[in-house]
Amino acid sequence: MSSDVIIATHDLNLWYNSTHALQSVSMQVKKNNVTALIGPSGCGKSTLLRCFNRLNDLIDHVRVTGEITLDSENIHRPGTDVVSLRKRVGMVFQKPNPFPKSIYENVAYGPRVHGVRDTKELDRIVEESLRHAALWDEVKDRLSDSALSLSGGQQQRLCIARTLAVGPEVILMDEPCSALDPIATAKIENLIDLLKKEYTVIIVTHNMQQAARVSDYTGFMYLGKLIECGKTSQIFEHPNEELTENYITGRFG
Amino acid sequence: MDRAGTQMGDPGRDSGRNTAAALRERGIKTLFFCTAATAVIVVAFILLFLLADALPIFTLVGLPDFLLGQTWAPSAAEPLYGIFPLIVGTLLVTFGAMVFAVPLSIGTAVYIAELASPRVKSILKPAIELLAGIPSVVFGFFGLIVLTDFIRVVFDLPTGETWLAASVLLGIMALPTIISVSEDAITAIPREYREGSLAIGATRWQTISRVIVPAALSGIAAAIILGIGRAVGETMAVMMVAGNAAIIPDPIWNILSPVRTLTGTLGIEMGEVAVGSDHYSALFGVAVVLLVITLIINLSAVAILRHIHEGSSARPGRKPLLPAQLKEPVSRSLKYGLIGVVIIFLFAALPVHLAVGILLIGVAGYFGRDRISRFHIEKASFGLIIISALTVLIILVIILADIVINGLPALSWEFLTQPPTDLGRGGGIYPAIIGTLYLVAGAIAIALPLGVGAAIYLVEYTREGRITKLIRTGVDLLNGTPSIVFGLFGFAFIVIYLNVGISMLAGQVTLALMVMPTIIRTTEESLKSIPASLREGSLALGATKWQTISRVVLPPAVPGIVTGSILSIGRAAGETAPIMFTAVVFSQRFLPDSVFDPVMALPYHLFILATNVPGASASKYGTALVLLILVVGLYSAAIWVRTHFQNKIRG
Ligand SMILES: Nc1ncnc2c1ncn2[C@@H]1O[C@H](COP(=O)(O)OP(=O)(O)OP(=O)(O)O)[C@@H](O)[C@H]1O
Ligand SMILES: [Mg+2]
Repeated sequence: MSSDVIIATHDLNLWYNSTHALQSVSMQVKKNNVTALIGPSGCGKSTLLRCFNRLNDLIDHVRVTGEITLDSENIHRPGTDVVSLRKRVGMVFQKPNPFPKSIYENVAYGPRVHGVRDTKELDRIVEESLRHAALWDEVKDRLSDSALSLSGGQQQRLCIARTLAVGPEVILMDEPCSALDPIATAKIENLIDLLKKEYTVIIVTHNMQQAARVSDYTGFMYLGKLIECGKTSQIFEHPNEELTENYITGRFG
Repeated sequence: MDRAGTQMGDPGRDSGRNTAAALRERGIKTLFFCTAATAVIVVAFILLFLLADALPIFTLVGLPDFLLGQTWAPSAAEPLYGIFPLIVGTLLVTFGAMVFAVPLSIGTAVYIAELASPRVKSILKPAIELLAGIPSVVFGFFGLIVLTDFIRVVFDLPTGETWLAASVLLGIMALPTIISVSEDAITAIPREYREGSLAIGATRWQTISRVIVPAALSGIAAAIILGIGRAVGETMAVMMVAGNAAIIPDPIWNILSPVRTLTGTLGIEMGEVAVGSDHYSALFGVAVVLLVITLIINLSAVAILRHIHEGSSARPGRKPLLPAQLKEPVSRSLKYGLIGVVIIFLFAALPVHLAVGILLIGVAGYFGRDRISRFHIEKASFGLIIISALTVLIILVIILADIVINGLPALSWEFLTQPPTDLGRGGGIYPAIIGTLYLVAGAIAIALPLGVGAAIYLVEYTREGRITKLIRTGVDLLNGTPSIVFGLFGFAFIVIYLNVGISMLAGQVTLALMVMPTIIRTTEESLKSIPASLREGSLALGATKWQTISRVVLPPAVPGIVTGSILSIGRAAGETAPIMFTAVVFSQRFLPDSVFDPVMALPYHLFILATNVPGASASKYGTALVLLILVVGLYSAAIWVRTHFQNKIRG
């Protein structure tokens, strides 16, 4: 396995009760790149994404087989500390979900739960994260306002800042723009481009242009299977599979 | 179908019928309006009658001296009517009850909402509803026999009837309210918050303690306020275990001192006072004060809950309950205040070395928290939470076991079918069983049509506006009125003013007023859960409003209405305070001939046996068990109806 692979799955299967939602998925995610996951609704994109930080553990009756590695460590190995796994693999959800606290407290929440008490240090992390998420200038004068008073796009960037504040290595994004207007979407897309310098981003999107714009690699999923995965330019211009081509060109069904 | 045919075929008759139908529709609407207005009228009447009867004492003594006077001695040669010790007693007892109940309740609520497996949940939730169903006189009986004795032995006192006993008992009684409302609040927190926090790498405990509970805080606050309201308004249980000396404990935190509450005073003295005397008026003054306190408490809880309800979509620009600048200092002072209070109580209730020990552990834990890994903190917190849920369960088991084990031997055919002999020591409780059934049947026959009508009016016939607001407030006020106040009102209005006398009818009406809010609430809920599309579908076919309501909206709402009615029946069957002065006698060999005769009733019978008849141990426990079976049976039926039909609707 080459050293620039950060996450890899091998023969990964997942069942919800009897629904076989992921079928023998094997893929590799390259460090400091943006990888997009595309595919029709219900094909298992979110499920796969939530495997990477084991958020599926929260759902009853989920069964997983196969292997997922983070930096060559199996994340299902007994004794794995799920909490520190989630610290390393952050997540931004489809619907912005800021906590009902102030803007400041939202961002400071992560560092606090990981043991940072020093106020100066917290202030620094909050400012840096908000700057990183391109939100600082818009909120710097109202940090103690409720996060719920922000617009949807600002809330989503706040959620990104909240994720950045714990210093993850990988950021998972599940349709982060689907609740946003085009302007807010453009801001987030620019942000993703900046983020890949320091982080690895895996993004689920329904928007083909978005995948083409922001990602370096793209995986196409269909009915629980990863049909193919490769460089974005290759997937969009010369897909190996007919299924992929049909989906990308909108000839589907 | 064929009616539509005739209408189309015969336009002349059709228009005649339309005016008739329109008239009928208007009549129906007016009728429902009248039922809805009852709630407001009753509240107005209660206020009016209490105030009218209290006025003489306010003018005689003067309001400041009445409220702040240090001595309550209404039967002295020179009577004194200062209710300050009673107010203090009420506050202290309630406060102690909350110190006991709040941690247990929140722990249990968090356990049910966040930690329990579905199986455990399916045991715990009905158990807590069961606890809510136990009549207060049965709690009082248990407290008198078991709890006070326990306290007497543990603290080596001459009697265990103390502030401590009253607070523990009231705390137990407030548990179900606080637990279920807090649990609802916690469960209502969107899953996204949970996932958001866990995805950052917070532990489950950090997520619960820093995101979920703070987000549910206003709901939990409302739960506590409702619990306080319940404790302040409770009469029978408190009166049976508090010792009832009208003194202020000395020192003020001496929880082993007897105390007397406002409600207890009414319960004890109302039965013996001469109508129209100064003392009589003073008791109504006490009732007014009690009413004002509970109204403030309940209305603030209702306001908080409504605020949450309306703000649940978390619209931006929604006004927070507390301005942001105030939040920090308020929460901080609350925190330190609470810690101080807990320390005082620790030292008051426990031997000194034990209290110091606990304090040291607490301090060590606080300063050592950075050294302890957060996984150990999580383990310890979950341990405490599980312990609190277990404690609640154990309390329930102890109460039930005591009454069932001691009560079963007393049950016999004779006990159920014979009238009492020898002041209830011998014979049976047949007239009390029948009397309770009569009272409850009458109460529900009055309350059901009024309550359902009011709910239909509120949900189906009006837009939200000034009138609905007024009616809703009326219902909220009624709901928060202590049962003893209903008792006083029933006595002053029905027994004396309408000159009906102590009679079954007076008891039935009083109970009906008391349970009406429950019926209105549950009916409203079930009507609101019927989707608007059903109504529109029916109206679009040309059905009139009343046709739509009676054929489309009401049928699926029936299970909800039935549940509410059964809960009300259970509540009415177990209540003592409202019938104590309006309807009951202690012992009579025969059944009443008409609604104008007084009756025997199970809860009152148990109360008198427990407090005034020495050596009737078997019949006491027997009566308690019969009452418990009756009420708990009704509650179980209500729970069954609810879950059965819920499952059916969900498919
Ligand atoms: N909690 C769950 N319980 C049972 N089945 C589930 C659960 N979550 C998802 N599924 C099923 O697993 C399959 C994959 O779902 P998933 O949410 O991963 O799809 P998706 O590709 O993210 O779809 P979308 O683009 O609509 O978000 C679907 O068939 C879905 O019905
Ligand atoms: Mg999805």
